[in-house]
Amino acid sequence: MDLGINPDELVTCMQCGLCLTACPTYRITGDETYSPRGRIALMREVQDHGAPLTSEVLDAFDTCIQCRGCEPACPSGVPYGHLIEQTKASLTQQRHPALRSLLLRPLTMPRVLRVGSSALALAQRARLVPPPIARRLGLPARLPIRRPALRSTGNDVQLFTGCVMDAWQREVHLAAKAVLEAAGFGVRVTGDDAPCCGALHLHAGLRDESQRLTDRVTAALDPHVPVLVDSAGCGAHLKEHSGLSVFDIQEFLAQHVDRLPTVKPLDLKVAVQDPCHLRHVQRAHAATRTVLRPFVREIVELDDDGMCCGAGGAYSVLEPEMAGQVRDRKMSSIDRARPDVVASANPGCSMHLAAAGVSTVHPMELIAQALKG
Amino acid sequence: MSDLVSDLRAVLGDRVRVDAAQRALLRRDASVFEGGSAGPVCLCDTTEEVQQVVRIAIAHGRAIVPRGAGTGLAGGAIPLADPVIVSLSRMNRVLEVDTDARIAWVQPGVVNLDLSKHLAPLGFHFAPDPSSQQVCTIGGNVANNSGGPHCLAYGVTNAHILAVEVVLPDGEIAVLGGLDAEPAGYDLRGVFVGGEGMLGIATRVAVRITPNPPAVRTLLLSFATTREAASTVSAVIAAGIVPAAMEVMDQRIVIAVENYVHAGYPTDAGAVLLAEVDGQSGGVDIDAERIANIGREQGATSVHLAEDDNQRALLWKGRKTAFGAVAQVTPNYYLHDTVVPRSQLADVLDQVYEIAERHDLLVMNVFHAGDGNLHPLLLFDAREPGVYDRVHAAGAEIVKASLAAGGVLSGEHGVGIEKQPYMSMLFSDDDLDHQERLRRAFDPACRANPGKVIPEGHSCADIQHLHAVPEGVWG
Amino acid sequence: MTLADFVTEIGDSGPVAVQGCRTRWDVGGPLDPSARLVTAPSGIVDYLPEEMTVTVLAGTTVAELNHALLARGQRCALPDRHGTVGGAIAVGENHTEVLGRGTLRASVLQVRYVSAEGKLVTGGGPTVKNVSGFDIPRLLTGSLGTLGLIGEVILRTNPLPATSVWLDSVDADPFAIASIVLRPGAVLWDGTRTRVLLEGHAPDVAHDRTALGGCGNWTEADGALDLLPHRWSLTPAELRSLNGNFVASVGVGTVWRDHPQPRRELSEPVRAISERMKANFDPTGRLNPGRSVC
Repeated sequence: MDLGINPDELVTCMQCGLCLTACPTYRITGDETYSPRGRIALMREVQDHGAPLTSEVLDAFDTCIQCRGCEPACPSGVPYGHLIEQTKASLTQQRHPALRSLLLRPLTMPRVLRVGSSALALAQRARLVPPPIARRLGLPARLPIRRPALRSTGNDVQLFTGCVMDAWQREVHLAAKAVLEAAGFGVRVTGDDAPCCGALHLHAGLRDESQRLTDRVTAALDPHVPVLVDSAGCGAHLKEHSGLSVFDIQEFLAQHVDRLPTVKPLDLKVAVQDPCHLRHVQRAHAATRTVLRPFVREIVELDDDGMCCGAGGAYSVLEPEMAGQVRDRKMSSIDRARPDVVASANPGCSMHLAAAGVSTVHPMELIAQALKG
Repeated sequence: MSDLVSDLRAVLGDRVRVDAAQRALLRRDASVFEGGSAGPVCLCDTTEEVQQVVRIAIAHGRAIVPRGAGTGLAGGAIPLADPVIVSLSRMNRVLEVDTDARIAWVQPGVVNLDLSKHLAPLGFHFAPDPSSQQVCTIGGNVANNSGGPHCLAYGVTNAHILAVEVVLPDGEIAVLGGLDAEPAGYDLRGVFVGGEGMLGIATRVAVRITPNPPAVRTLLLSFATTREAASTVSAVIAAGIVPAAMEVMDQRIVIAVENYVHAGYPTDAGAVLLAEVDGQSGGVDIDAERIANIGREQGATSVHLAEDDNQRALLWKGRKTAFGAVAQVTPNYYLHDTVVPRSQLADVLDQVYEIAERHDLLVMNVFHAGDGNLHPLLLFDAREPGVYDRVHAAGAEIVKASLAAGGVLSGEHGVGIEKQPYMSMLFSDDDLDHQERLRRAFDPACRANPGKVIPEGHSCADIQHLHAVPEGVWG
Repeated sequence: MTLADFVTEIGDSGPVAVQGCRTRWDVGGPLDPSARLVTAPSGIVDYLPEEMTVTVLAGTTVAELNHALLARGQRCALPDRHGTVGGAIAVGENHTEVLGRGTLRASVLQVRYVSAEGKLVTGGGPTVKNVSGFDIPRLLTGSLGTLGLIGEVILRTNPLPATSVWLDSVDADPFAIASIVLRPGAVLWDGTRTRVLLEGHAPDVAHDRTALGGCGNWTEADGALDLLPHRWSLTPAELRSLNGNFVASVGVGTVWRDHPQPRRELSEPVRAISERMKANFDPTGRLNPGRSVC
């Protein structure tokens, strides 16, 4: 089957295998089927040699978390992210694209999402959501019923608020906004003008729909004002697919850290968990430490070289077994570091880790708390 | 024949891969060689499982091929004629570390760099550091007797392996070598290391762990020509200094690296020498000073001592990302591996440039100069029709030039399939016959990784018999 | 005598053994009296200090080799027990200073030997790094001439350390030395006395010496402890429970005692490989009959 992969991209992989240990699913399985080199070889088998799409082959592609940890490890610069996006897009055409699209539809309708989310929160309080289902959906332990208001205070920077995060973790946006204001920036909150960035759609193989959403965001925002994103997955997507001037919020603040007031650091030992799309795609994870360092007692590094936690957008919902095993590996690394709290700059990672009992927080929340004193 | 798969599944459950596309992944390793074909892939978790898989393979008349990370560059892990693949990458636990005795027992699937990271808090490391160390496994290191930049002073893998638990090609389990000073009997452990998977399958390895040196000095010397860099290497050794590492990079690769990582390498130099000494602070200062002086005597245009760990890390980053840098120039490269006497380095390099030019290929050189271990990189674009013929022709000439200079076929990649045709240039019929006798003492039936190392005509002929797998078995 | 003469003399039939200086004549069992005795050629063929290699004929004495190496500021891993190079390699024992000099087996880069069929066979290669084919030199080293009769070898050499000194103490813990001295040349212990070889650049040796002062009182000594006649191979951990008369190489596991080590049995699979090895290399059993490594 023609996966529509550009042969010029496929030829760049020399099968050296240096990506293997950077891949969370290879680390868990020890099976090359679940490695970047293996998946690329499977793309070749399917596209060039007509290999049938057996359940084994489909499973290999479906289980890719798209963390892109293999890209920094690759000496040949293989555009793996692009290859797997293309593969997933082609395969989705064959496999219930309408259903996937329907499932992701609420993300594109912010009011519906918030109302539905509040209803879910009420149901949660009334114990109407059985815990196994909540776990399967990766729901936070306590969804918010009401959300505090988030209002613009200027136009030095645009704070991208997105979809799920705005519904479930608006307090992170509030914290980010407070930190930005403490640094003297007037903040425009993008709100419902620019809801879903389309990242999850692309992950699910819905490329055209994803691009439509991204274009909507691009059109709604000012290309001349920095767009700051406090969700690493959305930030990576917008950097790659929108024409906007996009920064991860930590990345932006790291350049202006001297504008933040000096305050008493929080008495916490913080482990920084690097979201894959901050570390491997945006490659801006060092900034988190730069920004956070003055505001906490101690920053401790995890010893797993920034390996994925298994969240992967909707991955933890679609592939719960593999996601759980990948998370177990991350949990042992966290256990070894013995932090008071884990700071993650991506809501998906936070929720996925929190569901396993890890105390997680967004770096902006820590800084906002320290600034409050 | 489908009995084979059900027998394997009875032992391993769902850890047997038979899907055609999945097996196709294991047709290759990191080399450019095609033509492999894998039988069922068995993901083993224990020594006993490996033993049972080997016994089932024997019962079904199939060969066995062990596989670690598949990063070999000589085709040693390429399966010929649908053998049963014994994958060891799941056996990845460090079982025991004894810092008093300086020994660690590890499973074969432990990744080389993971072992050193595991040992770091204890102040130790595993000395062999092949360029693929973030991926390659200890089992693979044992099979290939792997080297690396720091093997100049510390020795290659064989010097760091004390004992190996092996599932032999007949399915028996044996421990070769031992933790005592001079184990009794023939040195079967020493022979097994570098056996390229043809003498059995390592399932547990006792490795020597090395204390981290308290002081390290890293020098970057620039020269107008590779000849001067090479003669400096010889002069350093002749002066009685054995540095921890001595790596040379030619101008082409320095430019590629500098464009890629900005490590601070001088792009106007004809060649650079990266030399590292380690030990205690007094001695390393003396040796660093002497190397600097020898370099100047040999015509070094600049000598730079890394001032701190960051600078040193940056210099090594440049060296270690050399292959990545090359990929920015052309999509594909072929990495060669021969050894010549150090005194012949400059002459052989001249020939390497000439050979590549004659075959219309770009060549870059980055190599373990201290050992005389050349690594010419032939750059090409696989999409160009007929390019592989030129690449292989140039490779053959490089091998011949190295042998003519008194060198050998391989310093650390092994023979595998790649160097098999050249074995009879280095060894006589009688020599090869004796290597085959050694192999047959371990594997009289030639079941383990057949078709490698020993050239046809000297090796078991039963590889043809192995080809007699019924068509269509794998659907 | 040349290597070719050696080949001719060994021929292709009849029991045969090589004699050097007969200093280790009984290792591996008594030689069958039917064996014809030949001697190996001697002499240094090629010494390349800048390559750190030396090509030497097997009949050369270790003392003669050491003399040549010393003249160029180098040394090797062979123990000098008043025998020949070929004998030392056939026996395969390490130097007392193995920590500093490396193991004998790692130092044998190439062997040229006469096979049971009377052919001159080469294993290994001349370079310091080599993985071309199976490791015949490792197999022949320590094989007591049961697989082939060594005529010539290429050995790795190493520079002599800038300074070296033996220190002696009666109140030091020998097992603590490894954590104090980064790279000792040897640590010997006889149950009361510890003798340490420090080597390297003068400032490092001085540093080690000062550091050692923290774990005992040390005086300079003129060499190693006197060794006892019978060599034992133990694990480094087993040395802690030694008693009686002994000299132990701490961190290595070699022990010299006044009585021989009980026979060390090989496991069944290892015995099977060893027997096949002997049968494959010497089908008629003509090489060093009566001797065995097993």
